[in-house]
Amino acid sequence: MDFSCRSADGILVAAVHGRVDESTWEAFADRMASAIDQAAAENLSEVMLDLTDLDYMSSRGLRVLTVAKRQAEAANLTITLAAPNDVMREILAISRYDKLFHISDSIDTGR
Amino acid sequence: MLVRFWGTRGSLPVAAKAGAIRAKIARALVAANGQSIASIDEAEAFIDRELDFAASATYGGATACVEIESGDSYFICDMGSGLREFGLNALKRCADGHVRIYNFFQSHLHWDHIMGFPFFAPAFDPSAKIRIHSAHPDAEDALRRQQEEISFPVPFDWLRASIEFVAMTPGEPIEVDGLTVVAEKQQHSHDSYGYRFRDSTGRNVVFSTDSEHKADNMKDEAAFIDFFRDADLVICDTMYSLADSVSMKEDWGHSSNVVAIDLCHEAGAKRLALFHHEPTYGDEDIQRMHEESIRYEELTRDGSKLEVLCAYDGLEVRV
Repeated sequence: MDFSCRSADGILVAAVHGRVDESTWEAFADRMASAIDQAAAENLSEVMLDLTDLDYMSSRGLRVLTVAKRQAEAANLTITLAAPNDVMREILAISRYDKLFHISDSIDTGR
Repeated sequence: MLVRFWGTRGSLPVAAKAGAIRAKIARALVAANGQSIASIDEAEAFIDRELDFAASATYGGATACVEIESGDSYFICDMGSGLREFGLNALKRCADGHVRIYNFFQSHLHWDHIMGFPFFAPAFDPSAKIRIHSAHPDAEDALRRQQEEISFPVPFDWLRASIEFVAMTPGEPIEVDGLTVVAEKQQHSHDSYGYRFRDSTGRNVVFSTDSEHKADNMKDEAAFIDFFRDADLVICDTMYSLADSVSMKEDWGHSSNVVAIDLCHEAGAKRLALFHHEPTYGDEDIQRMHEESIRYEELTRDGSKLEVLCAYDGLEVRV
């Protein structure tokens, strides 16, 4: 699992690569928490998680997203999941996480 | 070991209503359009060939009760409403010579997990021996209380069987009539306990219901991975979707299909039985959850295949 961040158009775009599962969820949790702290410190409004290069995420990663969403909401930030592959779309649907998160088809920040 | 499911529903017993049965018949008739079905055997063959489980059967609606057949005495996990039918069946087996010893293992004492005991016919058999194993020190209080006059007409003291309460300590295995049993503490209101059963041949069955695995506490799941390690069958609470379990139903004490699959994958378990079904779900909802669970297992598999079963009242699984 690799993770990188960049600011674009008032949004922090965080990209996660590889897979998030039992062996990588703790690193992913740390990086997500740092990304949200960074977005809050820069007075941004949104964290967009770029899933383009994510192979898949198990419930470990999904539950990290839940914890991150709570942290983000406390900082008046929203989290958007962007560009999931077909596997990840299925996992989001099966887990019903597509009801909890806004999912964008692309990483177009729209500004 | 043979695992027999007598009750698989969560929280509250339910029954299929007239409209649901009528819909199944209508679907079957439409599916049979143009076919000649002149005998019961042909009808059975048609059902097996053409209809899915939700169209041809039902998951049932009795609350938690699972029998583990091993050795001479009975082993039963939980006393939900499914216990009534087990008790009647057990009396028939006893009439054929089965030993009249009943070893219960209680996950916890909530109503849906003890409501079958006042209707457990062998409790009125003076030659029956009932051992109720529990890690809850108040197990006897709970069973006596539900048979107080305000709740039930037959008091606990009128029961004729020999009834013994056996206190278990989590993590400390005990030997019971040929099985080694160990309890594991779980997250649930007033606590719950999972049980792992091991027979003399080394086969293992885990019963883990009413167990919440919280999003902000994932490090604690290492204990459950050890508890499920290499099990031949894990019976797991999969009442909610993951999204529900971390949002509106957080702290309601239940888990999801995807978390159960992840834990079983991580533990190297061989089979998972989805269990403690949401009472608002109809048969098609449960079947969809089962199909989605199989798909999730495929999508996230990184080792050996985990077979995902969906428990229903009447299912038997040979381990």
